[in-house]
Amino acid sequence: MINNLYIFDKYGNLLYYDEWNRPKKGEIKQEEEQKLMYGMLISIKSFVNRLSPTDTREGFLYYKTNKYALHYLETPSGLKFVMNTDVAAMNVREFLQQLYGKVWVEYVVRDPLWEPGTEVTSSLFKSKLDDFVKQSPIFGIRNI
Amino acid sequence: MSRQNTRLDQKKVNTELLTLAYGSFVTQILHDQNLNIDEVNKNLERIGYNIGLRLIEDFLSRTAAPRCLEMRETADRIQQAFRIYLNIQPAITNWSSSSDEFSLIFENNPLIDFVELPPEFSNLRYSAIICGCIRGALEMVQQEVQCFLVQDQLKSDSCTEIRVKFIRRLEDAIPAGED
Amino acid sequence: MIIYGIFIVSKSGTLIFDLDYNIPRIENEKTFSYPLDLVLDYNDPKNVSVIFGQKDGISVGHVLLSVNGSSTSGHTLEDGRNIKEVLETKESYPLTLKFSRPKITTNEKISLSSVFYSLYSIASQLSPELKSSGIEILEADTFTLHCFQTKTGVKFIIISEVGVHGMDILLKKIYELYADYALKNPFYSLEMPIRCDQFDTKLQALLEQVEKTGINNL
Repeated sequence: MINNLYIFDKYGNLLYYDEWNRPKKGEIKQEEEQKLMYGMLISIKSFVNRLSPTDTREGFLYYKTNKYALHYLETPSGLKFVMNTDVAAMNVREFLQQLYGKVWVEYVVRDPLWEPGTEVTSSLFKSKLDDFVKQSPIFGIRNI
Repeated sequence: MSRQNTRLDQKKVNTELLTLAYGSFVTQILHDQNLNIDEVNKNLERIGYNIGLRLIEDFLSRTAAPRCLEMRETADRIQQAFRIYLNIQPAITNWSSSSDEFSLIFENNPLIDFVELPPEFSNLRYSAIICGCIRGALEMVQQEVQCFLVQDQLKSDSCTEIRVKFIRRLEDAIPAGED
Repeated sequence: MIIYGIFIVSKSGTLIFDLDYNIPRIENEKTFSYPLDLVLDYNDPKNVSVIFGQKDGISVGHVLLSVNGSSTSGHTLEDGRNIKEVLETKESYPLTLKFSRPKITTNEKISLSSVFYSLYSIASQLSPELKSSGIEILEADTFTLHCFQTKTGVKFIIISEVGVHGMDILLKKIYELYADYALKNPFYSLEMPIRCDQFDTKLQALLEQVEKTGINNL
């Protein structure tokens, strides 16, 4: 099951956020939550890099709690894709890689009206992303 | 509506269309800048740079390439990008002794088919857009480089040579208060 | 199965025990000629490190340990010469440089523990689901971190190679050792570093057993 998705650029600007299943919400303001999320990612990155016994290449991949899993994909250009799912979801990173190529590059990077660093407001992107997420095998199944 | 179908079909667009479009684009800029060649060169480079900033995402998403940590890797990736986007395979040569500088050499530059540079435009760096594109793309992956034309077939050289020189690694911006 | 290390973090986020079990030593020595084809970073006063141009096992992030056998300290060599000047002088070459992946110092372990302590609670706060715990498993391309938090808030952490199973069982075993040989020891004070020989010996034995016969025989 897919909960939600955050896309940040390398400066920490939130470029896009969407949610599909979110039982818990509204405890902190959305803007603060996004800052907290980005700050946590940066801390995890440096934590992983320092703790790793050998040289890392991709570094942080995911973490799991007892209720959800956070999957992370960072492109060499510094774009950060963060997707929360149930803990049993498989191959989420591959899914994010596809999302990057087939949806982000196609409908955001190629959109001449989109200014890099700004929030994506294109409704074409939103609907394509929604289709893409909903047709994924990860989307519907609630594993326990 | 499916853009996916048109995306990878290289046969659908004739290269000559690109060549002609680029040609009229350059001449239009020449007129807009009142034939100020230096200004035109800068413009072409900057346009390339803006293309590079976006094109890199397409490249990364297609190739799923990891971040480059040394210049030879960078050179290979640029070569791969030439194959994907221009369908040509430049040679990578003339490495500096400290391995931070190299040249891309190719003969079949698609931008310059049919082009004859008039003598009064001999300073025009017609293909500067490619240099800008490389610089913009690498900047997005934390590498600052200098990129410039060394040999130009429009100036009776036997090939096009683009020099790429590593300047420094750019650090990721990190929000205040973080390690 | 490779276990790289064990940490125990108290309820308030302080590191009370750590063990480097199997940390690989990554060092490379190589002779270079002028000009040096590595890009080095001289911004950190504590060391000189590679920033770009990795080769032959010397990777980005590695720090310079010695120049022609003379160890480095900050930016100077044993004989007091400045490293940057030596490396940028053509006449110094050929030079034999030794690099290593920086080792984690005790101070760094303490700060990494408190970083993890806050990551753990932020992960619970940012959960899209109700009543989530903190991080139980964190995976990177080079290691996996397994964390077990007791009801009293003590965290047991194992750093292992990627793809091992049964770490939850091992974590509970370590918890038992902690309960037996630290807590039951009247001279151990809560929240303080664990310095109990019996605990060390038993833990060592446990890890050796797991390494030899696997986790399922526990």
